[in-house]
Amino acid sequence: MKRRLILGFLWIFLINPFNYIRADVETPSAVEILKKVDDTLFSPKDQKLLMKLLLIDKDGNEKTRSIRIYQKGSEKRLAKFLSPADQKGIAFLSLPDGVMYLYLPAYEKVRRIASHVRNNKFAGTDFTYEDMEAGRYTEKWNPELVENNGESFVLQLLPKEGTETKYSKLKIWVDPDNFFVTRIEYYDKKGSLRKIMTRTKIKQIKGYWVAEESEMYDLKAKHKTRMILEEVEFDTELKDDLFTERYLMR
Amino acid sequence: MKYIVDFVIKYNKWVIVVTLCVTAVFGYFLKDIRINPDITSYLPEDEEVVRLFNYVGEEYGGNLLAMVVIETDDLFNRETIKQISELTSELLLLDGVSSVTSLSNILDIRAGDEGIEIRPLIDEYDLPTTVEELKRLKKYVLSKNIYRGSLVSDDAQATLIVCRLQGDADEVETARAIKEVVREKELKEKIYFGGLPFLMLDINNIVVKDLLFLLPLVGLLIIFALFISFRTVRGVVFPLISVLMSCVWTIGLMSLLKIPLTIITNIIPIILFAVGSAYSIHVISKLSEQDQISGVTPEDYYKERLKSVILPVALAASTTIIGFLSFILGSYLNMIKEFGIFAGVGIFSSFIISVTFIPAALSVLKRSDAAGHLKDEKQKLLIRKNRLTEMIIKRPLPFILFGIIFVVASLFGIPRIQREVDLLDYFKKGTAIRSSEEVIKQKFGGSMPIQILVKGEIQSPEVLKAMKEMERFLDAQDGVHNIQSVADLIEEMSYVIGEGRKIPDTRAKVTNLWFLLEGEEIMAQLVDPEYTEAVIQATLGSGLEIHKVKRLVEALDGYIKEKNSPFCSFEQTGMPLVHLKLDESIRKSQLQSLAIAAISIFILLLFLLRSLSGGLIGLIPIGFSLSVVFGAMGYFNIPLDIATVLVGSICIGIGVDYSIHFLARYRLEFRKKKEVNAAVLKTLQTTGKAIVINVLTVTIGFLVLLFANLIPLQRFGVLIAVTMLGSGFGAVVIIPAVIVLSRIHFIKERRER
Repeated sequence: MKRRLILGFLWIFLINPFNYIRADVETPSAVEILKKVDDTLFSPKDQKLLMKLLLIDKDGNEKTRSIRIYQKGSEKRLAKFLSPADQKGIAFLSLPDGVMYLYLPAYEKVRRIASHVRNNKFAGTDFTYEDMEAGRYTEKWNPELVENNGESFVLQLLPKEGTETKYSKLKIWVDPDNFFVTRIEYYDKKGSLRKIMTRTKIKQIKGYWVAEESEMYDLKAKHKTRMILEEVEFDTELKDDLFTERYLMR
Repeated sequence: MKYIVDFVIKYNKWVIVVTLCVTAVFGYFLKDIRINPDITSYLPEDEEVVRLFNYVGEEYGGNLLAMVVIETDDLFNRETIKQISELTSELLLLDGVSSVTSLSNILDIRAGDEGIEIRPLIDEYDLPTTVEELKRLKKYVLSKNIYRGSLVSDDAQATLIVCRLQGDADEVETARAIKEVVREKELKEKIYFGGLPFLMLDINNIVVKDLLFLLPLVGLLIIFALFISFRTVRGVVFPLISVLMSCVWTIGLMSLLKIPLTIITNIIPIILFAVGSAYSIHVISKLSEQDQISGVTPEDYYKERLKSVILPVALAASTTIIGFLSFILGSYLNMIKEFGIFAGVGIFSSFIISVTFIPAALSVLKRSDAAGHLKDEKQKLLIRKNRLTEMIIKRPLPFILFGIIFVVASLFGIPRIQREVDLLDYFKKGTAIRSSEEVIKQKFGGSMPIQILVKGEIQSPEVLKAMKEMERFLDAQDGVHNIQSVADLIEEMSYVIGEGRKIPDTRAKVTNLWFLLEGEEIMAQLVDPEYTEAVIQATLGSGLEIHKVKRLVEALDGYIKEKNSPFCSFEQTGMPLVHLKLDESIRKSQLQSLAIAAISIFILLLFLLRSLSGGLIGLIPIGFSLSVVFGAMGYFNIPLDIATVLVGSICIGIGVDYSIHFLARYRLEFRKKKEVNAAVLKTLQTTGKAIVINVLTVTIGFLVLLFANLIPLQRFGVLIAVTMLGSGFGAVVIIPAVIVLSRIHFIKERRER
């Protein structure tokens, strides 16, 4: 009896902790994971995309629109709507320091618009401007590793002091092979799950990882946005004069 | 009849056990009883107005507005703005709330220094803090028509936080949760809660409170009355048990059938206490009679007495049930139908319990002396009443003339009867909910939603222009405020891009502007996803008289008829229309259920008395009390509302009992004495007396409703009391006077032929 007890203690205090220590060595820390996630996200110098957006309401009604996007670095972006017909030609230009221009083809006019519309939805999608903001996770969030099931690292992200966000926390699923985020859960200030983003058909193109399909589901509105990447090119040396008002009107 | 009596006596213990089991089963289901305070659900769902109202509610983010008013000296101070911003985000998190609009998050479209800005009025991460910023905000808000008077009061002392409830939300629970969130903030500003969800929450609480307070009160009164009459424990306990059981059966059945209590079905227990108790009292008092045992065994004698009491009690119960059931055919409001059905069920169960459980229980207890002292009481009262009865017999004409004058005078009051359907008027003056509605009406133009559904290609400039015209028409109407539609937003967008505040002249321009609004929360409340349908939202102050509501609805209808075209059509809905429909159906209910009740009771009387004149005389007390009660409503400004509409048919159902009792006894006495005056005198001394006692107890029972918290219930109580006094008077004064004067012995002729 006594011997068994001693063996039990030994197992708990020596053998078992040893296993944990070994696991620790193999698993990178939460901060390390998040840094790698940021690195994969922002690796291309520029990108040229053709995207189809499907807006699906709770009754299953679909709306389609397609957008051509040019992006250079993380701060210059030009987005042009190609369809539907009544939105064709509408274009946005985002420049550093929150400068944003809008082109309305029916008026043939470029207008400057204020870009601090953070928690509003973007063009009828389920993405708020905050969700689409190109920022590094590590700048805004404190990560904590909550699960490592072999298939993904699950990180819980809590906002850093001073972070302006609608969310109380995020949970992200990271593929341990390529540090690509495959799923994000958005929790509101009450701690309830509000939105889920999933990314599928993950591919490597020119050495960069991309998801050909991603979906954002708003649980409260029961509304979905599906984003389908129809064309993608990386590092095509996009010229700076692409990101000007003049090009916006073309 | 004999079979029932034999069965009850033979298997008395089984009857008791089964009754108790049934009661236990229904009692178990009592726990699930729900309350439904939503007045729109009281209308039948296939009604066009209701269908449209619900449709708009479902498609456009809910049409129930819960409003929180924040009032202070000057809203534009750092602390208050911060609280509003925090409350806005917290309320949005609640289940059942589909959107929240407040000073902090309302969509603001403006041409700012950095270009076009489309964003919340106040940035929740960058709240104005300096005096300068706050001043600028105040000036801006008060300069804009869309905010001033609708979101912020003219004096900048009060603002609204408007929570739009989801179409499928539990209004009461959501309203409760909103209150909880606000309370937890412990604001130093003055807070008011207004709008239908809060009204419903209050009604819900009141229904429970009234039941818990009034029922014991009626119970106590009945115990008191029973004790005065019987002076024994048994005489008090049994009627009380039978009434309680019938309440448990009825409410238990409602619960089992998932039918929630409404603001009027919660009167059923009180009706059962006041009316249903009479059945068991009759049975107990008859079974307790000890005299004239002549050679029959006590058990046979007991059965004999039971047999003789079942018929009159059955008659009384069936007329009352007919009165209640008249609501099923006569009324088109669900709530009133349910009331009719379950009041009928309650009376029926009271009757069943009175003729099965009560005699069974009494027979188990063997010789009863429950009514030992009743005789003495009767004797005393009898002597005091003799003078009046003699007067009726000697000089009947003045009594009849008095009755006629009273009826004629009352008839003149009938056209003056007002009608009332506004839920708010159901609350007493000075209650919190009424003062908040007052504030909302004064400062923000009211909380009742009006909606105009627009069908057409919403993005076409023609349709948008037609919508603007409709808005201008609405704006010119009395009491209509806070008009809002997608056309306004398009105009505002056109303004900020520097094209002037107008609807653009091409569709392409409209869609360009539209693109900027897409995904804004407010769009889902104003236009459908296909852009083939939109709503113009507006509010109306509650407490508007029904004739003004009617004028508004008719004016809108007229305008809509004139403007509707194949490319753009309008349809109106909203609370005013629901109110109008309610009003109309209350009026219809009144006439139809009265007619149905009167006709079926008349047929019953004809059948019972087998005499046309007997039937007509039997209707005298009803006619008398009906005219008195409607006259009183006219002269004393008691409006016809959701509860008082019930009075007429109940009056017929309960009041006719007195006629039946009186005429039945008169027939009996006439057969014995062969002389009208003597028969009338004897009838007055016996049955007349019982009627008076019954009238008084029922009247007192219903007067308890004066302590109710909802005004319609108070009115209902008073009016039922009036009808009881009226039909009592008709039965013991006017019927005998008419019989004496006309020397009618219709009964005898018929009998002997």
